[in-house]
Amino acid sequence: MAKKLRIALAGNANVGKSAIFNQLTGLNQIVGNWPGKTVERAEGTLHFKGYTIRVIDLPGIYSLSTFSMEEIVSRDYIAIEKPDIIINVIDASALERNLYFTLQLLELEAPIVIDLNQVDFAAKKGIRIDGEKLSKALGVPVNPTVAITGSGINELLSTVIALIKGERKLKPLKVKYGKEIEKRVQAIEKLVSTKLPQLCAVYPARWTAIKLLERDTNVAGKLKSYENGKEVLYYAEKLASELEKIHGETSPVIIASERYGLATKIAKTVTIIETPPKISLEQKLDALTTHKILGYPILAVTLASMFTLIFVGGNFISMSLDYVFGIFTTYVESILSSLLPEIAVSLISRGILSGIVAGITVALPYIVPFYVLLALLEDSGYLPRVAFLMDNLMHKIGLHGKAFIPLILGYGCSVPACIGCRIMETERERFLSAFVVVLIPCAARTVVILGLVGRFVGLHAALALYAFDLILIFILGRIAFKVLPGEPVGLIMEMPSYKKPSARNITLKTWSRTRDFVFIAFPIIIAGSVAIEALSLFGLMNYIIEAASPLMSGWLGLPSVAGIPLIFGVLRKELTLILLSELTPLRSLSNIQMIVFALVTMIYIPCLATIAACMREFGWKKALAMAVIDIALAFFLGGIAYRLLSLVMST
Amino acid sequence: MQFRNRGKPEKQNPRINEETISLTNLREGERGVITHAFGGFGLVRRLAEMGLTPGVEVKLLRKGPFRGPMQVEVRGVALALGYGIASKVFVRPLKAESNG
Repeated sequence: MAKKLRIALAGNANVGKSAIFNQLTGLNQIVGNWPGKTVERAEGTLHFKGYTIRVIDLPGIYSLSTFSMEEIVSRDYIAIEKPDIIINVIDASALERNLYFTLQLLELEAPIVIDLNQVDFAAKKGIRIDGEKLSKALGVPVNPTVAITGSGINELLSTVIALIKGERKLKPLKVKYGKEIEKRVQAIEKLVSTKLPQLCAVYPARWTAIKLLERDTNVAGKLKSYENGKEVLYYAEKLASELEKIHGETSPVIIASERYGLATKIAKTVTIIETPPKISLEQKLDALTTHKILGYPILAVTLASMFTLIFVGGNFISMSLDYVFGIFTTYVESILSSLLPEIAVSLISRGILSGIVAGITVALPYIVPFYVLLALLEDSGYLPRVAFLMDNLMHKIGLHGKAFIPLILGYGCSVPACIGCRIMETERERFLSAFVVVLIPCAARTVVILGLVGRFVGLHAALALYAFDLILIFILGRIAFKVLPGEPVGLIMEMPSYKKPSARNITLKTWSRTRDFVFIAFPIIIAGSVAIEALSLFGLMNYIIEAASPLMSGWLGLPSVAGIPLIFGVLRKELTLILLSELTPLRSLSNIQMIVFALVTMIYIPCLATIAACMREFGWKKALAMAVIDIALAFFLGGIAYRLLSLVMST
Repeated sequence: MQFRNRGKPEKQNPRINEETISLTNLREGERGVITHAFGGFGLVRRLAEMGLTPGVEVKLLRKGPFRGPMQVEVRGVALALGYGIASKVFVRPLKAESNG
């Protein structure tokens, strides 16, 4: 039987960690969430020299403190689950900052192997790292790799196995601090190990002591559940205050400075600067794309071409697929009707089948190309530049530059956009971004706006709707920003160098994201489709139309049948247009009616798949609140627009 | 964290070495040594973890448009800091040896 191993990948963001993960596991990966957390968890398996190795890709983080959920998840995994080996992926071109994280892994007394990645890229910058020396300094093996080509991966795995077999031994460096800190760390450590033996079974005593001295709220919280915890905590706080008095800084800053001091010292002794760095193509590209003036047209052109490509290409594929599936559905229906009663046939074909078809005709043509282009933008390193350019504007709605990225995603599809809000640091920021993101007209809504207003009223009216939407987002964003409790977080973001994206990584990324989308969206689209079909089969639809009629015709000035497409639109927004045209000739609608209908469709509710994604990210309460606010807002604005437009157009 | 004036009390050109200025007042391409940052406990800690600790040398690479973020180089890495954050980070400017 194969022997089992569990290894974890840990390291900073932008060091090529996921590329290493892809090299190790290929298609054998499962992407999900950490239990109870909206932090992505990627796991995969591989076989090597008779071992079955489970690899867990920890989130990319800069520290093991408690700034974000990612950091807590990572350190708890390392301390509690105790993987056999941790591969610490570090970027050879930014050794100092990466070693800061490595030192914290050593403090956590984790068994680590260093994967010195991007050595090719570092060489380009004129930096060479002496792996032997680094290995000696840290007391752990160091393996150079180039993740994109996969060079060095086998050696890395061999090192891991050698450690497991005991052929190689770790002599990890003990991170020592300056006298003032060290004295206090040791005093707390002594107290921790005598007073809290249960805690020490999980977390190393010295690590706990350092964290307490750093005023780590998460560790302090853990202490409170122990009998002697309070006493230790009180003592640690006293020592932290002493330290702060001596240095005139807060204790986490003092300790971080010391840790960086050590990282700098190690980095200096192992780095060989070969050629003086000259201005590279990447740097020129960086200067151009973040340029005060030129940066914006470049951004506009990039986004415009991306969306043109998706819409033109997607529309074509979508229509062809619709046609093919139309034939298929009729065929299935005719077979089924000879076998089953009519109600069952309708439920299966119009419920389940059309749900699947709806999913496929949205997912394949729009989502897949969108994911490919997104992965391209991500892997090349362009997205941080976009965040840089848009930071100031996003601050106006209480967010920062990074939130512009899910906002762009929103023009493609709200589902990945909602999930994309994870790049924001805090729960508040995530929710705030998601709240505005669902109001962005996605590909399906664009079909309605362009297909109805753009086609019959004129492009200027369609563009006006888009402009109105942006203003609305701005206003709502500001309100939400004021109403939601908590402090806004500013932008602190690494700007990684530009890199050539690899086809393999893009394919794998697209694949795992598409699969994720299918898992979230399909069940809910199918269930919703069946439910609505059941409603109409049992004749309940008419009651709903009747009940909604005062709202539809009285308040919104639409034909009362317009209620039906709006109900179906919850499944898939472009259905609203298709159904509306089946119920009433589109030309019979007045310009005002078209604008009002498109406006309501644009805002009234995120589609079911998006609600499902929001539920997964924020829980059902917040997802429901979002849906209710959007519905109320859409009908409110629709009615106002109807009255205002009637007034304006009659004069 | 309290504000501490590390400079001498003489009134001089504010860009002279002994004075500390906000990161936002550095010019593009100029270097400075971080003296302190002020702001909440969490923010100062975060800055330190990203490598912006007192005593470290930074280079202002680029200023974003419309009071936008500052791009700085610290410890061999480029970081973008929002304007609000950058204005809370104070540096002692180093004499320009104009490059960049």
